[in-house]
Amino acid sequence: MQRNNKRSIPAKLTPEVYKALEDIVGTEYVSEDRAVVECYSKFSVDSSGALKKHAKDPSNIPACIVLPANTREVQAVVHVCNRFKVQFIAFSNGMISFSGPTTPEPTVCVHTSRMNRVLEIDENNLTARLEAFADYAQLQADAMKRGLWNGGSPLATTLCKLSSQSAFAGIWQTDHKYGTLSRNIVSIKLVTPTGDILITGSDTVSGMDTFWEYGPGPDLFSLVRGSGGTTGIITEIVVKLHTWPGGPELPEPEAGRPCIQTYTEAKYDTGSPPKHHKPLWVEFPDFETELKALAEIGHAGIGIGLNATGVYNSYYCSQTQEMTLERVKEKFFPPYNCYLILSAIISEKQIDYEEKVCRDIIKEVGGTFLSETYKPEVLDALAPWNLDFVRHVTGFRMNRHAYGASIILGGPITTVAHKTREVWTKSIDTFGETYITDRGGMDDTPFLYSSNHNGRFWLTEADAYPDMTNPELLQKSQALVTSGIVNTIAHQYGPGANGLGVSIEPVTSFFPEVGPNAHHLFRKIRNLFDPNGLCAPGRQVFSKTEYDNFPDDVLADLNKMRQMHGLSTIKKEK
Amino acid sequence: MQAKTLKQELENIAGQSNVIDDENILKQYSQDQSFVAPGKPDMVVFVESVEQIQKVVKLANKTLTPVTPYSSGKNLHGATIPEHGGLILNMSRMKKILEINTEDWFAIVEPGVTYRQLQDTLSRQGYRVMVPYGIVPERSVLSSYLERDPVLASPSFENGNSLILDTELVLPDGELFRTGNWATGGRPGAPNGPIRNTIYRLWTGAQGTLGILTKMGVQIEPLPKAGKIFFIPFQNLSEAIEPIKKIQGKEIGTECFLINSFNLAAVFTEEWEIPETFPAAISASPEFDKARQLLPPWTLIICINGPLRRTEEKTAYETEALKDLCNVLKIDIYESLPDIPEAEVTMLAEMLRPWKALKKFNYKGSVHDLTFKAPLNRLTKLDKTLQDLAQAHGYPLADIGIFLLPLERARAIHCEFDLHCAHSDKREKEKVKALWLQASSSLINSGAYFDRPYGPWAEMIYSRASNYTSMLKKLKSEIDPNNILNPGKLCFGVT
Repeated sequence: MQRNNKRSIPAKLTPEVYKALEDIVGTEYVSEDRAVVECYSKFSVDSSGALKKHAKDPSNIPACIVLPANTREVQAVVHVCNRFKVQFIAFSNGMISFSGPTTPEPTVCVHTSRMNRVLEIDENNLTARLEAFADYAQLQADAMKRGLWNGGSPLATTLCKLSSQSAFAGIWQTDHKYGTLSRNIVSIKLVTPTGDILITGSDTVSGMDTFWEYGPGPDLFSLVRGSGGTTGIITEIVVKLHTWPGGPELPEPEAGRPCIQTYTEAKYDTGSPPKHHKPLWVEFPDFETELKALAEIGHAGIGIGLNATGVYNSYYCSQTQEMTLERVKEKFFPPYNCYLILSAIISEKQIDYEEKVCRDIIKEVGGTFLSETYKPEVLDALAPWNLDFVRHVTGFRMNRHAYGASIILGGPITTVAHKTREVWTKSIDTFGETYITDRGGMDDTPFLYSSNHNGRFWLTEADAYPDMTNPELLQKSQALVTSGIVNTIAHQYGPGANGLGVSIEPVTSFFPEVGPNAHHLFRKIRNLFDPNGLCAPGRQVFSKTEYDNFPDDVLADLNKMRQMHGLSTIKKEK
Repeated sequence: MQAKTLKQELENIAGQSNVIDDENILKQYSQDQSFVAPGKPDMVVFVESVEQIQKVVKLANKTLTPVTPYSSGKNLHGATIPEHGGLILNMSRMKKILEINTEDWFAIVEPGVTYRQLQDTLSRQGYRVMVPYGIVPERSVLSSYLERDPVLASPSFENGNSLILDTELVLPDGELFRTGNWATGGRPGAPNGPIRNTIYRLWTGAQGTLGILTKMGVQIEPLPKAGKIFFIPFQNLSEAIEPIKKIQGKEIGTECFLINSFNLAAVFTEEWEIPETFPAAISASPEFDKARQLLPPWTLIICINGPLRRTEEKTAYETEALKDLCNVLKIDIYESLPDIPEAEVTMLAEMLRPWKALKKFNYKGSVHDLTFKAPLNRLTKLDKTLQDLAQAHGYPLADIGIFLLPLERARAIHCEFDLHCAHSDKREKEKVKALWLQASSSLINSGAYFDRPYGPWAEMIYSRASNYTSMLKKLKSEIDPNNILNPGKLCFGVT
């Protein structure tokens, strides 16, 4: 590999703008130090960002980082950006590719880390009010003391912030009962790209309690939810709370976890399930049996979580990367499996009943429960899940190698599972894998999440794990996923970029099949929120100018991909 | 364009016999049983396809003609009264159930499909659609879901769920748009996307001001194999608050609601028919008078359903948990009502077809509800607010019908407080209207959230939500710059 000796020089703000930001938050909470801004340009799931690093392209490095303390300061920052026509982005954990600047123009990165409080747990209205940087772990700790919880935890760890997860959709492992985060939000307080405040739900009407998510009239939050941070900066979020029968504290392994450095022994990585909860693991002989069982269990309305985890168990449940690889190669974990989480909300008899129903189904459909007598070593190895289905911490083990990108589809189980396998297999067959675990989803089950009551619809996932130090593999990872997305659209498998229904450019504007012409409507909506085009410009839907300026060579590449999947080439609309 | 030319253009689109400008017929569309001021359309256009709807909307943009979408006309809150004239776009003939998918549990309906039609069709196949309590059976399922009418199973069913799946709509500029898996033209069955994951919700509660829904996927589920009704009586509302909270906190039962003696007595009045037109004909009933004397002031009704698998075990442990809880709370629970023969049988049937609640219309012909959401712990105060006002206005307290439905395990309560009046008695109507208006305002002042602000409620609510209102207005002018769709509704009055 040839070393690139080019210098990467990020754009800078004018002194006037920088001073204006200092005046708002104080000198200690704004920085343009190269060492600081560089930190905000590396994201966890970001092949394109990593490729920019290789190319010494500075466009994903912010010009400055500003840390406002409250909504008022966020508003003031946004007003400054509008006054000086400087673009800005919101930033919380930086755990996904949405976080970075979107153009080479100087960008103010608004990091919400000082706004990190759980403001209120309302036991009457079953809601929790959080500041933008409060995370799942904080929320659960506060809510569980009161016999409540928010209903889930993302696989991306409980350090995720609910406010920023709402920018996507928020998959949880307990979506089966509670739905994704996007269905568990009562209200938000948003600083719009022009610096106004928009509050949604009953909270927006003066004198009302915060308890109901809709209206008044049309649901404006539908325009914010899943907007990838392009409709402004959420400074407060109010989420639903549900009954939590698991007690005020979660069981912990003796050594605590996962922070000890010599953390390689499985015994430090296991706890028992929370009180009044029981996970069941089932192995299936093949994909069809797995799908049939999942459909039946879903329709039986039992359990709070129902998912198949396939190859990903090797990451989540292995304490070292070597162990992960060994288990993938040996197929240590069953290639076709599922887990069902039972919870005694009504009474202990609920678990007895639901377990019997699950066992009836497996007896009818086929499959074997992992137990003390059947593959006990596998069941032992899966023990990290005992807690992780409620409070996830092991998801980032996927980043031990690298987690590049995903395809995510949505729909009824049988259709969507087969389509995911078909799409991903075609991608891998065409472009090749970047790492052995990319084959998850074609050699074994893709990740399957029941996302709705009674398993009516599911989300699926297949991932690429390129070595971030290898630009060729990063490009291959991008090709794998882009091909998957185009294939999905071409064969009418779903709403476009993914089953969560959220897309980012250039997928939004150059696939008129979606909607159809969904980008026309969303361009109007962008104009409504962000007439100056400053908030993460071009990230989710291009303005007419951005669309016109989209590079011809990139469009040509997209057109090749479109043709590969049987779609006609497209030209820019005049 | 002159009216005549517009009519000709519409006839070209929909056919001569489907464009109506007969004054007598237009008058029927100019009002409903609500207090919303009448407004007469210029024409009614019956459409039968999405292509016709697109053409009508494009023509309306060209001619700057208001369009009021109309599916069944059973909203009863004035949502289809054309405030600015123009066209009634009548979709009631689009009444095909396009698909019933028993594998993935959904049905696809056109705008004219009614609850009765869908429920009857589904139940023949062993399935059911979730139905709001006291809904007019001829109401459009699509419009009802779109207007967020809360279904009877809302305590449990909306927990993390929405009943709407994929949708197809015509935007205010006449372009077609689809959400969910339909966005790429494929098979339905999931609601997300495109671009924003729950974008379909933008059109809910919009009274047809932002688009015209032409097709919708709705969730269905198998009919319960068994069902068991429980009655918990209360002497006053405040006694019921804690039990509702506890029972819902334990997630017991599929359906659960609190109802006062007036409304419950109406359900059990055999002398009364379920009315088909609104306002209904007035019918005195000694049976009703007697029943409301016999019934407790308040009754909490809970339905525990038995699923297809291990039916008995499920209903048994849930029943046991409910009875244990009632023991702890020291409240009585019954499986029947002593003074109403087979009350539990009637109620169980209502879970599937809750039309008997409409019998209350027989009392005085028209019912003017105050429909809002409120937190559980505000109910007693809101009830008191209305009682005080009713007293001040000389309205009999015993004639207030009340239905309270816990939503999402009682995170919120859907409240319906009914005022009755004889539609033809102008003096009484004015009196009740004055009370209804003042009560609306006072209840809002006391924390009642009218999330679906029909008629005069719109001004009362939007005046308290300036930023939200401003954004809604900007949205409307961005996607409906000619203000074609149902102008004047919500905060979209012509200014």
